Amino acid sequence: MKPRLPAPYGSLIDRDMPVNFNFERRSYQGFAGDSIASALAANEQWLLSRSFKYHRPRGALTMAGQDANTMVQLPSNPNALADRELISDNLDVMGQNYSGSLTKDRGALLGFFSRFLPVGFYYKAFFKPRGMWEKWAPFIRKKAGLGIINQQLEPEYYDKQYKFFDVVVVGGGPAGMQAALSAGVEGCEVLLVDENPTLGGSLNYTRFDTEAVRGRKLRAQLIEKIEANSNITCMTDAVCNAWFADNWLPIIRHKRLYKVRAKQTILCTGALEQQAVFHNNDLPGVMMSSAAQRLMHLYAVRPGHAGVIVTGNNDGYANALDLFDAGVEIRAIVDLREQPCESPMIDAAVARGIRIEAGHAVYSAHKSGNHLSAVEIRKITSPGVCADSGEVIPCDLLCMAVGYTPTYQLVCQAGGQLSYDDESAMFTLGNCPEAMQIAGSVNSHWDLDACLAEASRAAVIATNALGLTNADVPPQIARESLSPNHPWPIFAHSAGKEFVDYDEDLTIADIINATRDGYEHIQLVKRYSTCGMGPSQGRHSALAAARLVAAATNRTVAQTGVTTARPPFAPEHLGHSAGRSFYPARRSNMHYRHLEAGAQMLQAGAWYRPAFYGRPDNSLKCINDEVNNVRNNVGLVDVSTLGGIEVRGPDAAEFLNRFYTFGFVKQPVGKARYALLTNEGGVVIDDGVACRFSHEHYYVTATTGGVDRVYQSMLKWNAQWRLDIDIANVTSAYCGVNIAGPKAREVLAKLCTDVDLSNESFPYMGVREGTVAGIEARLIRVGFVGELGYEIHVPQHSGEALWDAIMDAGQQQGIKPFGIEAQRVLRLEKGHIIIGQDTDAMSNPMEVQMGWAVSRQKPFFVGGRTIRELEKKPQLRSLVGFIVHDSRAPIPKESHLVLDGAQMTGRVTSCNYSPTLQKPIGLAYVVPDSAQAGSSIIIKSTGGVPVTAEVVNLPFYDPDTLRQEL
Amino acid sequence: MTSIRPSQVKRRSQLARRHIELGAEFEHCSNLIVVKDYGSQTEVDQAKKLGLADLSTLPRIGFKGTGAPDWAAYHGVTLPQQPNTSAVQKDDSLVAKLSHQELLILSDLGVTSTQIERLEDSPIAAQTYALPRADSHCWLAVTGNQAAEMFSKICAVDLRAHKFANGEVAQTSVARANSIVIRHDLGSTPCFYVLTDASATEFLWDCLLDAMAEYTGAPVGVSALRTLS
Repeated sequence: MKPRLPAPYGSLIDRDMPVNFNFERRSYQGFAGDSIASALAANEQWLLSRSFKYHRPRGALTMAGQDANTMVQLPSNPNALADRELISDNLDVMGQNYSGSLTKDRGALLGFFSRFLPVGFYYKAFFKPRGMWEKWAPFIRKKAGLGIINQQLEPEYYDKQYKFFDVVVVGGGPAGMQAALSAGVEGCEVLLVDENPTLGGSLNYTRFDTEAVRGRKLRAQLIEKIEANSNITCMTDAVCNAWFADNWLPIIRHKRLYKVRAKQTILCTGALEQQAVFHNNDLPGVMMSSAAQRLMHLYAVRPGHAGVIVTGNNDGYANALDLFDAGVEIRAIVDLREQPCESPMIDAAVARGIRIEAGHAVYSAHKSGNHLSAVEIRKITSPGVCADSGEVIPCDLLCMAVGYTPTYQLVCQAGGQLSYDDESAMFTLGNCPEAMQIAGSVNSHWDLDACLAEASRAAVIATNALGLTNADVPPQIARESLSPNHPWPIFAHSAGKEFVDYDEDLTIADIINATRDGYEHIQLVKRYSTCGMGPSQGRHSALAAARLVAAATNRTVAQTGVTTARPPFAPEHLGHSAGRSFYPARRSNMHYRHLEAGAQMLQAGAWYRPAFYGRPDNSLKCINDEVNNVRNNVGLVDVSTLGGIEVRGPDAAEFLNRFYTFGFVKQPVGKARYALLTNEGGVVIDDGVACRFSHEHYYVTATTGGVDRVYQSMLKWNAQWRLDIDIANVTSAYCGVNIAGPKAREVLAKLCTDVDLSNESFPYMGVREGTVAGIEARLIRVGFVGELGYEIHVPQHSGEALWDAIMDAGQQQGIKPFGIEAQRVLRLEKGHIIIGQDTDAMSNPMEVQMGWAVSRQKPFFVGGRTIRELEKKPQLRSLVGFIVHDSRAPIPKESHLVLDGAQMTGRVTSCNYSPTLQKPIGLAYVVPDSAQAGSSIIIKSTGGVPVTAEVVNLPFYDPDTLRQEL
Repeated sequence: MTSIRPSQVKRRSQLARRHIELGAEFEHCSNLIVVKDYGSQTEVDQAKKLGLADLSTLPRIGFKGTGAPDWAAYHGVTLPQQPNTSAVQKDDSLVAKLSHQELLILSDLGVTSTQIERLEDSPIAAQTYALPRADSHCWLAVTGNQAAEMFSKICAVDLRAHKFANGEVAQTSVARANSIVIRHDLGSTPCFYVLTDASATEFLWDCLLDAMAEYTGAPVGVSALRTLS
């Protein structure tokens, strides 16, 4: 490592803490606080990466993480910005996008073929000549790449946090610090956000006076006051990455996304220095003047040995003084202005004997190896045009100080309008929303005092709006007449390579040719040329491109405008969006009993449910055994996930009568009734049973996945009907089991002594309240699986105790748990449909053989009118049961097609091997002509094998329902 | 170690196994079982800083309907003035008003209050409907000075002390689970009751512990909470 500049240079580094790291497998040393780029620069390693398209050598441009030149590969992170990313011990850093080595990249040969890769190349190559894209694509995809994702890497922990502030100030430069302070002293809760490691912004590196003392002094004063104010929270190393409605600000700091709500926002986001456009303006060694100042003041790195400054304002002279004081030999200040205005900075440069060439431009940069070796300067004869010859000045550093654009991205996202004054060559921002103020150089104020005054003014407006002050708002600060922006720092060269957009390797000719291809609107130029679409999102190309398009289309820059700045402002990791999301998982109180019994769990919506009990590699046998045990013995299934809704009140029966298809007004107390729900279109959307426990109390079940929708629908309808009822979703309040099988009553009788379980007293579709194993319970005699069965619903927290008691009581009867896979088979054997599986978005009750569940007597129910109309028309399809008799045929699966010749006439909705019938059985939609029992249908099964099935009447099992009414 | 185990009673928290894994010491409280402590001598200090307690087995009930407020007041309930506020009762139970027509009543930590039992046994009035809050929702308590900061990682409501006063109620989303959050300080220690769908109890418990880890938060027993109150 070369010696660094002495303190106070290097405000960000800790010279007592050396750090060793590797770049391109070579070992380097820097200091704690160094960025990768600054540490490499301190070691005279300027080449950092290769450009996207032509593989040109690239080095530091802004030293502020605002460009793509510094993108490097880290072990865990491609496309890391070397001027943002800090070094750490043993960090391995590699360059990106090269073939061979970084210094000798074979891909750089592409530069010689650049004329064959014109703007719009991709669009042109896509469609002609025919078939050409297939030839180009593999080559381009290989060459045009950035970093490599490490797919072996374990995801790191990213999370999110909400924050709330009265005022959020974005940008911790002089204006931002002053705005935060002015708001903070009025009692506001203020958040001051800055993307850099320390507050201060330009005060950290810019020379505001010839003695270079004001910036440092002002920074210290402001920081002292901010630190003393407990109302101000500072967040450095944090990027406010967007502005969303109502001042919702996503702020990224390290691995956390802060979702910040601000009542007022003050944007002091500063300005971005722009490049001069000339031949080879992308060589390592060519950088913004602010980048050179950052290298010196923040990292104590001398940016070169012999420097030239090309400038269009007085900041270039301040930069020259800085370089001079740091020991850089200044070969010349090349001032684009014919007559530089008077300034103490210019006087100081003259006093130091620095050569000044006014009215000149840097026409081209020359290189030696991969670095700048000289610049050719020429006299400017007219805007953008130079004399035919000039002078070559050897140098290894060229600083560009030709103007700025405001960091307008957040302002524009908030609806602010960017305007351009062609006379002063400056952008201005206006039309900000009420709860947003802007101050400082983002508002095109360049004088330090003006920035501070404007920041205080912005804070007064904000605190007045918050009701904390009622102060007179000071008058607007007039902008300085002197613009730092040169109107045309663009100089075309016969050999091209004057880069407008570094990210995409776009030159002057590319932008102009885009307009010649007919894409004259700036938005079309962007999309056609990809200008501004790279990682730096047009930060340094937008202004130059707008100027070129304006000139090429005979418009002003104001008329041309710039492209839209959309979020995010800076690249963000997917982890910031995806990390630590929440997906509430639901478990019944019996969950662990299932696991202990060897259940294979599956997720049904948010619920965990036991699919079957046993080893996954033995699933079919497990399921069949569970089915057989229910048919021959007794089984127990967890039905806690079923929806449960209480409908209570004087109008409860009337409500259900209107809501469901069946009649409920005359439903006796102590009975359950099947409840089929259709929407206004007559489509079946849910089902369950309505249990009447008293005249004014129904307990209605709904499907696991449908209960929330049913509950919301109930609330919606009763908001119109205004019936005197209360509706409560009590799904989670109850745990439920279904004990089913011929021995179910025998087992239950051991635990339930206060309810007469006999068939006479408690018949099929009866409901009772009592106790089971000492637990208050609701008992419903239903037969979803086609056997004698009782659903038992108990308070949620007693679910496990109920499970234990029943399993214990049923030991002698051979009780076994069964999962939802067995339940699916059992219900299929019984011919019961599952809403959502056997129905779709068009299924009406008649199609699914549920016409019996529709009352024709009552005047109204939801969907009734449509169903009556549908009943007048011929039915288009029917859901029928089928059996596959051929034991060698592959078993059809859900969604397999029913064919009539080559024509698709239906589809399978359910199909399983039936252990009871010992044949595959299923349900399928077929055309009415094929719906008669005995009809034959062809199903295109797995592998396209046609399987013949016989249509049969439902149910497959126990057609006289004798078993469930035992 | 006592031999009290959650499985000794029928009513069990969804978190019973988690508590056992964490080495919880249980106690009988009325006819229920709750976590007394996790064996730490510094649990009160932990609760002052950032603690998480499971109160799911303690009594609670809800009432809703146009007749509910008058009926409850008739039976001696001191009603909060505004929706989304709560009021401590004379017997230390807590009544939260979730809307003009909906009340949530939570037992005191020692389960000495008889209010819930009394209301359950009272004849219900017209347009008044009981809600099984003891089972529809779990009941967790997040305590300590860092509780609000921790909540800001998983809840979009600003729960900081000067923005969310003691007694206030937020019906919101915590880690994307619909939740009722009630600030009910224990003495000078901030405390937030969180009531969430009972089936999501373990999910919420895990989310809270994960969010608390940054602040070295940890589970605490009801004993620490009683000490603080």
